[in-house]
Amino acid sequence: MRKQSAWIMFTLSMAVFLIGLIFPLILVIRNGFVTPDGQLTFRYLIGVFENPIYLEGLRNSLRLAIGTTLTATLFSLPLAWLSNRYNFFGKGFVNALVLVPMILPPFVGAIGFQQILGQYGVLNALLGLDVDWLGRGRWVGVILLQSLALYPIMYLNISAALANIDHAMDEAAENLGATGFTKFRRITLPLMTPGIFAGGTIVFIWSFTELGTPLIMNYTRVASVQVFDALKEIGGNPFPFALVVVMLTVSVSLYALSKYFFGGKAYAMQSKAATTFKETRLTGIKGLLALLPFVLVITLALLPHLGVILTSFTAPGGWYQSVLPDVFTTDNYIEALGHSMTVRSIRNSLIFSLLAVFFNLILGIGIAFVVVRSTIKVRGLLDALAMMPLAVPGLVMATGYLAFSSYLANEVFRDNPALQGIFDVRTNPTVFLVMAYGIRRLPYMVRSAVAGLQQTSAGLEEAAANLGAPPLVSLRRVTLPLITANLIAGALLAFAFSMLEVSDSLMLAQREDFYPITKTIYELFQLIGTGKYIASALGVWAMVFLAVTIVGSSLLLGKKMGALFRV
Amino acid sequence: MAVSVQLQNLVKVFGATRAVDHITLTIEPGELFFLLGPSGCGKTTLLRCIAGFNEPDDGTILIGDRNVTRLPPHQRDTGMVFQSYALWPHMTVAQNVAFGLEMRKLSKSETARRVEDALAMVKMSDRAAHKPNQLSGGQQQRVALARALVIHPQCLLLDEPLSNLDAKLRLEMRTEIRRICKEAGLTAIYVTHDQKEALSVADRLAVLNGGVVEQCGPPREVYQRPVSMFAASFIGETNFIYGILERTGDQTGTVKTDFGSFSSAAVAKGLNSGDRVVLSLRPETLKLGDAPADAPNKLQGAVHDTIYLGEVAQHQVRVGGENGPNLKVFDLNPRIIARDGVEQASVWVDPQDAVVLPADGKAAPE
Repeated sequence: MRKQSAWIMFTLSMAVFLIGLIFPLILVIRNGFVTPDGQLTFRYLIGVFENPIYLEGLRNSLRLAIGTTLTATLFSLPLAWLSNRYNFFGKGFVNALVLVPMILPPFVGAIGFQQILGQYGVLNALLGLDVDWLGRGRWVGVILLQSLALYPIMYLNISAALANIDHAMDEAAENLGATGFTKFRRITLPLMTPGIFAGGTIVFIWSFTELGTPLIMNYTRVASVQVFDALKEIGGNPFPFALVVVMLTVSVSLYALSKYFFGGKAYAMQSKAATTFKETRLTGIKGLLALLPFVLVITLALLPHLGVILTSFTAPGGWYQSVLPDVFTTDNYIEALGHSMTVRSIRNSLIFSLLAVFFNLILGIGIAFVVVRSTIKVRGLLDALAMMPLAVPGLVMATGYLAFSSYLANEVFRDNPALQGIFDVRTNPTVFLVMAYGIRRLPYMVRSAVAGLQQTSAGLEEAAANLGAPPLVSLRRVTLPLITANLIAGALLAFAFSMLEVSDSLMLAQREDFYPITKTIYELFQLIGTGKYIASALGVWAMVFLAVTIVGSSLLLGKKMGALFRV
Repeated sequence: MAVSVQLQNLVKVFGATRAVDHITLTIEPGELFFLLGPSGCGKTTLLRCIAGFNEPDDGTILIGDRNVTRLPPHQRDTGMVFQSYALWPHMTVAQNVAFGLEMRKLSKSETARRVEDALAMVKMSDRAAHKPNQLSGGQQQRVALARALVIHPQCLLLDEPLSNLDAKLRLEMRTEIRRICKEAGLTAIYVTHDQKEALSVADRLAVLNGGVVEQCGPPREVYQRPVSMFAASFIGETNFIYGILERTGDQTGTVKTDFGSFSSAAVAKGLNSGDRVVLSLRPETLKLGDAPADAPNKLQGAVHDTIYLGEVAQHQVRVGGENGPNLKVFDLNPRIIARDGVEQASVWVDPQDAVVLPADGKAAPE
């Protein structure tokens, strides 16, 4: 890549990051530390730590995050290990299925979850009990739901770490007399620690700030819900901003620590595993025993969504103190898909997500080119910035975009109604939702494009240039066709996550005309009576749509589904 | 059709290293020119400067009378054969070869005709519809060559094109490449670290070391009349003997060493009487056995080790007594074999083959 075009792309990307990532965060920090008359103050921050309600919220958020990370590790570690060492009947199938929960929105699952664990739900009907499972231990339910949705991230990271362990290291341990658990504890576990921490960090940050699941589970005493509620109040309450700064600090420090201690190279093998493990073939009972944990985890993970599916086919009030719904109906779908609000929300989500993916593709390819193919020294900075959105929780970004929108509408374009209308989320959130979806999913896009370029020798592009192809022709004819699979994988992931994005959608979409699917599901859910059932129907529709998209594209690509998510 | 390529004062710096350090070379139209040197000598960097993939920090590159120094690669009209071949895996052989013609906006029929011709020239016509990964290394190499040739480039650039092939195929392909270049009358620049490849194929070659041209000339001249210790030791094998020069004529002189004086008829330019010099004696120019009475530069030697290779024996001969240096002597159709003991014999060399070089050469003496 020529220096000049590398610099142009670098400047462009930096501008995007400054506008879409850094500036909103600065506004959050400003709102949390500067009084309306421009004085620096720590009053708000101290206020957060003096307010017992906020303190409880933070404590609960931490508890959710730690609980979710541990539970997700518990789910994924045995599965990853089994899959790495053994081969058994049905492995390929469960290996793909085990990742499915990643695209099932946990906050939709929460609806079904309550149907199963509620006081008048399936479990009680099955056991003949009358226990309010979700009453006092609501947080346990949230942890379970979140870990069942997030364990695939751990699974992928641990699997990758395991795949990189050279068989010779294991054999060396055995040769020196370590076997069984000793070998696992002294050799295998330390070698896969970077993978566990990489995945754990993402899961921790995610669950620490997760908004949708606690909201639907009606677990309101967590920081994320407190911020959400407080920001709905009119009149610039500074405390939620200070609270968000606290959450941002926790997330970013954790990310930085994890990067510092395990940043890829800490335990990097001298080379890629020269001799990978030869999978041991398990047959008969042993094979079934190996399959069992997979089936258990997958069933558990799909159960809430099964609840959603059943709910969506239930006539309102028709699933009460019984194992299965008493009255089945398809009315919910007819109503959901006939409802102007839902149809519009589907269209909105499609528009926002497709736009976001479009910008992601352009930006992702550009950034990947600078990172992989250019020699400018600052490319490392660009790479780090492109990964930053992983460290900044959606809730924090959403808060930042709210502040950004109000800054543009009330300060910059105060005298220009047209521009004010475009940038004020209260009138039209399109700009900020696309920005939010795009920036937050950019890491996936950049990772896949970088991986693609790294696998593609620069010589192939040089050959094209040598034969007379100008840079853009070489890009179109040689580079893009060669990294198509990577781009589709990245784009699909970005698209799926955008369609089901929760925090930004709930906080930024404030006018019904512009509600995306997730916000509509949330609003419908709150309707007394039929709301829950229509919300489920819309949730099922969204899941089916995504499943068809992803499975369809993976078939087109001729790749196993799992490969799509190994970003 | 064929044009010259001129490099004037070319400089390319990577960080603290000067990969190309003020190189000036002229490659004549239709010439098959080799850049030869050890890895890291700057030969590939130089080639990539000509192709446009490395931008020189200073100097000028002329292809024909076009100054291409600041031109992007796709406007230079060079055809390059990459070390890795760089065939596009998503295109068939024919599509790979047709790509350059498409970029030149040739008509469909003309493109098809030329692709066919090019594939026929490299004997790959029957593989036109294959994908590159279905071909062997040698076949891929030929497709890469066809792809570079089909555009009738002003200049063909070859970057170690044979280094990924096995020895037998390498021999076959290097005569093939020379045949094709000569038939097409191409100006070609060929980078290699394989001296045999360079000596057997090149019209002229340049020996590069540390970013500078040590020597440039036809293969025979570079081999027989090296101008520096590096050039002498990098191409072929040689024995170095240090001494003091006494000039007797334009190219002649006498070198006084610790164990006798040598007369030479190959004294490098710029050397004066009294200079500390080094004698470069190729192993195959040293004669071994019972010396005739008038044998020049005669020494008494002890053959103490022989590697017998059939057509040739490689001897280690100690000259100048117990503490004298070892000379390597190649003896065709050998008579003397030292296996279990030491054989006494005379060693002598023709003054024409006793090359005198400046002793401040950059190469470390053996």
